[in-house]
Amino acid sequence: MLENLQQSLEAFDLALFWEYRAVLLPGLLYNFYVFFLTVGVAVGLGLVAATLRLSSNVVLRWIGTGYAELCRNTPEYITLIWIFYVPPLLLSAALDRNVSFSPLLAAVIALGLASSGYFTETFRAGISSVPRGHIEAARALGMSRSLTMWRIVLPQAVRHMLPEAMNQMVSLFKSTTLVSLIAVPDLLYQVSLVSNATSKGLPLYSGAALVYFLIIFGFATLAQRFSDPWRQRSR
Amino acid sequence: MSEVGVTSTGRVVVKVVDLHKYFGSLEVLKGVSLEVHQGDVLTLLGASGSGKTTLLRCINHLEQPNSGEIWVDARPMGFRIDAAGRRRRAREADVNALRMDIGMVFQQFNLWPHMTVLENIVEAPLRVRRWPRRDVHERAMALLEKVGLVDKKDQYPSRLSGGQQQRVAIARALAMQPKVMLFDEPTSSLDPELIGEVLGVMRALAEEGTTMIVVTHEIGFAREVSDRVIFLHNGLIEAQGTPEEVILNPTSERSRQFFSKILH
Amino acid sequence: MDAPWIRTVWRHRDVMWDGLVVTMQVTAIGFVGAVVLGFVLCLLVMYVKPLRWPARVLIEFFRATPIYVQLLWVNYVWPGVLGWPSSFFEAGCAALAVQSAGYLAETFRAGIEGISRGHVEAARAQGMSSLLVMRRIILPQAFHTMAPSIMNQFLVVIKSSTLVSVIAVPDLMYQALRLTAIWFEPIAILSCTALVYITVITCLSLVFKWYTDRLRERYL
Ligand SMILES: Nc1ncnc2c1ncn2[C@@H]1O[C@H](COP(=O)(O)OP(=O)(O)OP(=O)(O)O)[C@@H](O)[C@H]1O
Ligand SMILES: [Mg+2]
Repeated sequence: MLENLQQSLEAFDLALFWEYRAVLLPGLLYNFYVFFLTVGVAVGLGLVAATLRLSSNVVLRWIGTGYAELCRNTPEYITLIWIFYVPPLLLSAALDRNVSFSPLLAAVIALGLASSGYFTETFRAGISSVPRGHIEAARALGMSRSLTMWRIVLPQAVRHMLPEAMNQMVSLFKSTTLVSLIAVPDLLYQVSLVSNATSKGLPLYSGAALVYFLIIFGFATLAQRFSDPWRQRSR
Repeated sequence: MSEVGVTSTGRVVVKVVDLHKYFGSLEVLKGVSLEVHQGDVLTLLGASGSGKTTLLRCINHLEQPNSGEIWVDARPMGFRIDAAGRRRRAREADVNALRMDIGMVFQQFNLWPHMTVLENIVEAPLRVRRWPRRDVHERAMALLEKVGLVDKKDQYPSRLSGGQQQRVAIARALAMQPKVMLFDEPTSSLDPELIGEVLGVMRALAEEGTTMIVVTHEIGFAREVSDRVIFLHNGLIEAQGTPEEVILNPTSERSRQFFSKILH
Repeated sequence: MDAPWIRTVWRHRDVMWDGLVVTMQVTAIGFVGAVVLGFVLCLLVMYVKPLRWPARVLIEFFRATPIYVQLLWVNYVWPGVLGWPSSFFEAGCAALAVQSAGYLAETFRAGIEGISRGHVEAARAQGMSSLLVMRRIILPQAFHTMAPSIMNQFLVVIKSSTLVSVIAVPDLMYQALRLTAIWFEPIAILSCTALVYITVITCLSLVFKWYTDRLRERYL
């Protein structure tokens, strides 16, 4: 009983966590680094796929839909491992020289692919939420196709999809914790190193959980605050 | 208070004594007393906000009154007297037992959308009354016959018109074989052409001797069908008596104003 | 010589199958645990005043912690503090349950709050007890609005279950990684494994979509 209590206290003794801040903090920065790179990839791929899904060509539409479904229906962990090992081998065979992906590159590609599936759906829903009548009204006034897109469709679509896109950013940040699995030195990776070296895992894992919680909770709350007024204006 | 013109001599089914109800600091009922006898049709009239809905909801304890007493079929609603003679809050089970004897029909129908018409009707008789399934189904079909909706028994409510939904809601309340029926503006959310079918059903119930308390803005219906009319104003009974007395020959200034607006 | 995937995956299909069975077990137990825990949390937040805040904090904590962090936390910290879980398998199930419980609690709350007051009052006016109202009126009706998110959460649990391999629960992912380490045929093994996951998840999501469409058609 007493021993149990002592262990409990130890588990939340965050002083140890603070002691190793010099290795842990750079790890956390790595999470943000991966996050920002991945957002770029995911949004880019998502926009392309959403455009395909909205195209008037049936084949392109199918490709867009298939791509989004494939990305969404694959567990992220397997995407990560697969990207890390398989494409380099295929490329090596094709180019006849040794190709390998750095963990960071593999992580960004894999997480980017995985989240682009969700972004595709959000972008598509946002753009198709703009009533046809608005587009027709703009065209009837003589606005060009691209002007209509820029001035009429996109402003409305962005408003519509912003809250959902924010949620996906939050999910994406959560996913960045997976990168330690292919040895990208993020916070969790550093935690496991330190905990192996000191054999004091409990407070370190508690500290990591707490830090991630605070960041994500804060981020999600901000996102909510930020997108609520938008949501109302789009009504 | 004058009891002139009260024709019925039946047993008292609902008795309300000096009822007060506040919402926060707003006093909505300021001491309302009334009696409804078996077989009576009592109509509550009054301007919007005068407390008609609140009064009905207090009777089946959907709202808790702040003071006063309600008796349904000679049983106390929402309170009990303990061994020492003190007034106590009633147990939930006792309130529920009494509610079985009070049928309520809402302005918004409130049919349960995940159940078919027949399922809506048999739900409470089966699970609250625990009556045998065969009897319940037989009676439910008879009630559907009465409200003219036998062919809709397996439809979901969303497929019915407002008038049809309200008739089902009436059948649902009747299926519990209540001692009194409460109607809260049953036709107010209906399109004008659907009002007649619901009033028709209510008229038939009145003729069969169903005890009813009706809140309505249908003055014609109130005049023809009610035995007694109560005119509520700002949470107080301003006038009561037969329809002729209250509606056609109003004595108080306020009721004169109210009815002259409605009748002309 | 046989093709690499015959040599590795096909020849060890029994191992892969065992892994898939473990995946299904972890997913099922984790999901059921999540539904139960989520429902309890939702009830606490909605109806038990004194426990509202502790429950809220738990929900937010579960929701805002990445599943992988949660898994490591449950696996390393809980046994010392709570004396449980006592095996990796239990830890995996617990982490999955805890992770989804937060989401499901919010889903349940939104579903229950979405029921119109009138429907509940109509039931109470007929003398139904609170329990009966919950069981017969609120939950079935809320289920129709919640079904899509509940089913989606099930798919999330399957996807997250791949991570239990990290704490040596022998699920499909674990077996795939082990075979890869033995044979070093990542192309064949990992691609086949991915295909299995994709097939299972896609089929389930099609079934779920068909089911929710049917629900909507029926009642609305
Ligand atoms: N739940 C509530 N909380 C606060 N105030 C309420 C509530 N319900 C009713 N009121 C107030 O009580 C007063 C009486 O309302 P009630 O619904 O009983 O009037 P009514 O006579 O039925 O009117 P109407 O003809 O519009 O239905 C109104 O001023 C209303 O705003
Ligand atoms: Mg009213």
